[in-house]
Amino acid sequence: MEGERDKRGLMDIQEEDFDVVVRISREDDIAIARQMAKQLAQEAGFSLADVTKIATAVSELARNIYRYAQTGVIMIRKQYQETNNPTVQVVAVDRGPGIEDLDLALRRGYTTHERSLGIGLSGVKRLMDSFEIASKVGVGTTVVVEKRRRKF
Amino acid sequence: MRFEERVVPTIKIGDCLLVPIQIDLDDRTVEQLQAQLLAEIQEKRVRAIILDVRMVDVIDSYISYTLSETAAMARLMGCQAVICGIQPAVALTLAQMGIELRNLMVARDLEHALALV
Amino acid sequence: MEKSQLGILVEELGTSDYERKLWQKLLQEATSGAEASELRERLREPLLELLKELGEGSFGTKLQLVSKKLKEFPTVDILPLVLELCGELRQEKEQALQEFQQMLSELATPVIRIWTDVLLVPLVGGLDSDRAQGMVERLLERASSTRAKVVIVDVSGVPMIDTAAGGFLIEMFSAVKLLGADVILTGLKPEVAHTLVKLGIDFQMVVIARDLEDALRRAIAMLEEEKRQQQKIARVWGGGFLGEGEESDEV
Repeated sequence: MEGERDKRGLMDIQEEDFDVVVRISREDDIAIARQMAKQLAQEAGFSLADVTKIATAVSELARNIYRYAQTGVIMIRKQYQETNNPTVQVVAVDRGPGIEDLDLALRRGYTTHERSLGIGLSGVKRLMDSFEIASKVGVGTTVVVEKRRRKF
Repeated sequence: MRFEERVVPTIKIGDCLLVPIQIDLDDRTVEQLQAQLLAEIQEKRVRAIILDVRMVDVIDSYISYTLSETAAMARLMGCQAVICGIQPAVALTLAQMGIELRNLMVARDLEHALALV
Repeated sequence: MEKSQLGILVEELGTSDYERKLWQKLLQEATSGAEASELRERLREPLLELLKELGEGSFGTKLQLVSKKLKEFPTVDILPLVLELCGELRQEKEQALQEFQQMLSELATPVIRIWTDVLLVPLVGGLDSDRAQGMVERLLERASSTRAKVVIVDVSGVPMIDTAAGGFLIEMFSAVKLLGADVILTGLKPEVAHTLVKLGIDFQMVVIARDLEDALRRAIAMLEEEKRQQQKIARVWGGGFLGEGEESDEV
């Protein structure tokens, strides 16, 4: 799985591989993406706390798209690895301005927006089990996050 | 304030304004809520607003930012703000993201909230 | 003749009546000359029971004996089925183990109602596992549903608190406080206190008690304090309602 993704690269992810694809272009789409994520995580048997964490992370990612790139896509899928411990993967892709300094963007409290805590991306990273980001100025940004279902 | 501008119905108890949030908060409604509450604080001259978020399933960084901001604005108008009934899963998510609800007092329920203000 | 040969083999294989019955059934079915697909269905149950009874190793040895003594026994045809059944058994065991682990983790980190509106959580073991996350979720659910006023966290059973475990505790305390409950931390051992300060973790957000007795005393004091506050409020409110019609801002 991991290797396959590396080969194709973060910027070349196929929409048809995902269970849910939500296009973000209006403010309302943030709530829609959040709702879809919640439903999917519930179906996969995540605990209520983890469902809430996933929904919140999707909310943050969708808002980042709306705020900085205006349009983009949130894609969500369930993945079943060899053991019966499913993972929810969320991919956020936009063709926005891109992020110049990723380390800075991930720092808690850093923001370029006036109405923000600067907690979005760093918060998403804390809520999820894995976090990958690729960004190129003038091309766009892709964020891939995953959360696996806990054994107990 | 005109009825159609109110996103959340409020109840005045003594000199406290109870705000039971029964809707799914999104960016627009939380901004409308802010405007509504500031107008009501001035109109009803309340000493405190109590936000009851029992029914709210997701509070992300923007919603919490706007609620904290509203509380700070209320404070400048001489009004305290209390939040109560945060769901356990929401509390855990906020804590993990490292979000503190600045300017807001936290209460278990309405009774506790009334005792705090 | 064939029947008795089979009987002798069954006697040789079985160590109990139940096992002999199973072998008898298995050998009879296997040599009945049934179609492959039907054979599968008929052999399934005795094979599964024998595997459960004997375990994989011992069953293998006996199967070897059977294939040597009973030429018409279709060992090669049966093997895939045996492997499949082994897999099923293992899965069953894993599931049972998982359920057991879940039960164990709930037993290992109980949430105890130690006083009216006071919960006690004695933490034991490491704090960076799935188990710890599950424990926090249960604690928060319980604190929320019972409207607990104070949560006492006893960490005397936690061997070491590093940055990750410290971060975990801070998250847990913040979450409890977001429910509107107070947190009292107790049971920090000298070496743990030493490490925490070196790491820059001071737990300023919670009350710290020197032992469980002290923690309970403080918790009760907090409850008393809140009761006093509430009585004061009740008086003020009572006054307000009595004086209805007056300007409410006077209250």
